[in-house]
Amino acid sequence: MSETSYSVLGIFETPNALMHAIPKVRAAKLGSVEAYTPYPIHGIDDALGLRRSPLGGMVLVMGILGALTAFGFQYWISAIDYPIITGGKPPDSWEAFIPIMFEVTVLFATFTAGLGMLFLLNKLPFFGHPVLSSKAITGITRDRYALAIEAEDEGFDSAAAAKALQDAGALEVEVLPAPDRSPFLTSDYILRTLGGIFAACLVAGVVMYTVTKWFPLLRPMVNMQDQPRLNAQKGSTFFKDGHGMQRPVAGTVARGYLPTATGTQEVAATLVNPLPRTKEVFAQGKQAYGNRCEVCHGALGNGLGSLTAAYGGKPANLQAKQFLDYPDGKIYWAIVNGKNAMPAQAADLTEAQRWAVVHYVRALQRAQNAKDEDLKVVAP
Amino acid sequence: MTQNNKNATLLWSAVALGALGVLATYFVAGHARFWANWVLWFILMFTLGLGALFIVALEHLVSARWSVPIRRIPERIATLLLPAIPVGLIALCALPVLYPGSRPEAAHHPILAGKAFWLSLPFFSVRTLLAFGLCLLGLAVLVGGSLKQDTTKDPAFNFRARKFAPAFMAIFALVVTLIAFDWISGLTPEWYSDIFGVYVFAGAFLSGLAATTLSVLYLQERDRLEGVRGDHLYNLGAFLFAFTVFWSYIGFAQYMLMWYANFPDEVIYYKVRLAGSWRIITIALAAMHFILPFFALVTRAAKKDPRRLRRVAFLMLSAHILDMYWLIFPVLGGSPRFAWPELSFALFFLGGILLWLRGAMEKGEDMPTGDPFLREGLEFRL
Repeated sequence: MSETSYSVLGIFETPNALMHAIPKVRAAKLGSVEAYTPYPIHGIDDALGLRRSPLGGMVLVMGILGALTAFGFQYWISAIDYPIITGGKPPDSWEAFIPIMFEVTVLFATFTAGLGMLFLLNKLPFFGHPVLSSKAITGITRDRYALAIEAEDEGFDSAAAAKALQDAGALEVEVLPAPDRSPFLTSDYILRTLGGIFAACLVAGVVMYTVTKWFPLLRPMVNMQDQPRLNAQKGSTFFKDGHGMQRPVAGTVARGYLPTATGTQEVAATLVNPLPRTKEVFAQGKQAYGNRCEVCHGALGNGLGSLTAAYGGKPANLQAKQFLDYPDGKIYWAIVNGKNAMPAQAADLTEAQRWAVVHYVRALQRAQNAKDEDLKVVAP
Repeated sequence: MTQNNKNATLLWSAVALGALGVLATYFVAGHARFWANWVLWFILMFTLGLGALFIVALEHLVSARWSVPIRRIPERIATLLLPAIPVGLIALCALPVLYPGSRPEAAHHPILAGKAFWLSLPFFSVRTLLAFGLCLLGLAVLVGGSLKQDTTKDPAFNFRARKFAPAFMAIFALVVTLIAFDWISGLTPEWYSDIFGVYVFAGAFLSGLAATTLSVLYLQERDRLEGVRGDHLYNLGAFLFAFTVFWSYIGFAQYMLMWYANFPDEVIYYKVRLAGSWRIITIALAAMHFILPFFALVTRAAKKDPRRLRRVAFLMLSAHILDMYWLIFPVLGGSPRFAWPELSFALFFLGGILLWLRGAMEKGEDMPTGDPFLREGLEFRL
């Protein structure tokens, strides 16, 4: 590798001297002129004739791209691929897309600004800038101001550059060698790096597997895995029969669904309706009757429900003399156990609902057999 | 006759012509329309003055140096609060006409009856007077003190202003919220939005900034602000740019939450403004208040370019007028009204505002010459 010089540094003592030197050095047109100062100097951008950074344009383009990407994704998902109406809004409501569009715009723009500046404009993997290994660098980072003429092509004349800098008033001149620009991101390097990452992942995976499988003492985070409870469909040493799941104790009934009328209807005749005759109870009874009974027994309880009309069934006419004379308990028994073709309602009506239906049936019967004294006005 | 005198004659004739139209509006076009216009221009004058005063206070609050050379401009614009106060006092007559909370029917309204005391004419007037008083206090301390410093050259003013500025920020928040809730949101008292005060603040600050930018450019053209350069303009441009985004953020946040929740008492506000011709105005507002200025100012060079800045500042002022029109005029019902009454009001008040500002720009020094930080401000570089 030939020792071609890369740039020539001229050192100045004050920022003013530097600023005055810039036009003279630029006029010599020996290479690109760059300044290195310990702090930003106002107006040096204009003096050096720096081009406008392309970063702003890149950020704008990527920001707009981010907004469009977010809009496209959301539109595709919400309006085309899987349209679901949420909150009564049309699937393609742009208002709902705006917050995500805003965030993705900011994300794209800031990433472009940060990464674009570091990698595209500052050429980040290039660590060894020649100025950093110059003798003058300790001064440049403290109280000296350097102007560099940097090689633009092969025909760089370092002697002429050194002279131009001295003519412009530089106290010292230092010729820097070409930087070591041996390739950094070669395909070999990338492949080896990726291979290394893959191998590291493989080793880590095998180690983790071995440790968790063969050395259970070292298992990480076992609290979720081993909980002191019975699992469905799993064995357990707690019970004699070795099952985790146990049958309920014989005679267990679900709360609210007590089948109290378990004997014959005659036995149940003595049961007394525990519910008071209040407006709420009647409303509850009416609702339950409407749901479970009305379709056969009819809205009036006369056995002429809509199923009777459709299929010619013969459900009991609750207005018949036989049922008018029934005690409450026998009606309750029929609801719990069913009778003839009538299915048991125990599973569908809670105990309170059953007794409420009994009250309601009584009310239906009385309504069809009203006496004169029933018409007396009850004070509200 | 010089150009200056010609302009004055033009403005005075605009005011005179406008005054005729204003009077005619009262007697011909109906009281509601007259008062809607009057309230609109009161709000515009007040927000412009208050926004400018906010800029002055902001400088003192953060001890900004770059803005010292142009501080006299927002100080002069802030004096618009002085004529805005009598206009606002006259606007109190609009309460029984326009504001449902001040009408006798309100007593039988299930919601308004609950807020009866708050919305009642006496308490409403007390709040407005309180807001005016606080504004006068801010004006006296910040602007009056600064004008006095021109002769005394006493740096004590800077310390006093810096101590007063944090208090003024609280005062400012109170005043802008009171005015926004009472005078604008009060037109539809069943509707409410917590963020409404911030929305009006964003518009007020933007209008103050735009007027400051226009005045700075106007004076610069006449070589009266020597030393004010692109770096100062850049900061004004950056402020304008930032706060167009802020305004849209607040405006859209308010809209989106109401759109999502879809409560009838909230969405009715937007339902009215998205129906018929109002829809066009809503879209135009989004374009003028956000999209156009955003892209006009997005590049670095644009924020320094006087021609670009002047156009954008003019656009922002027009957008602020449209914004307040959009907030206030739906109270009249039906489609947006714009005819000779609105034109006469615009002639009368715009002419008046320009005359006032013109007078203010002629008085005293163009820069706070007594401020010890003036030199530092003039040397400001980006």
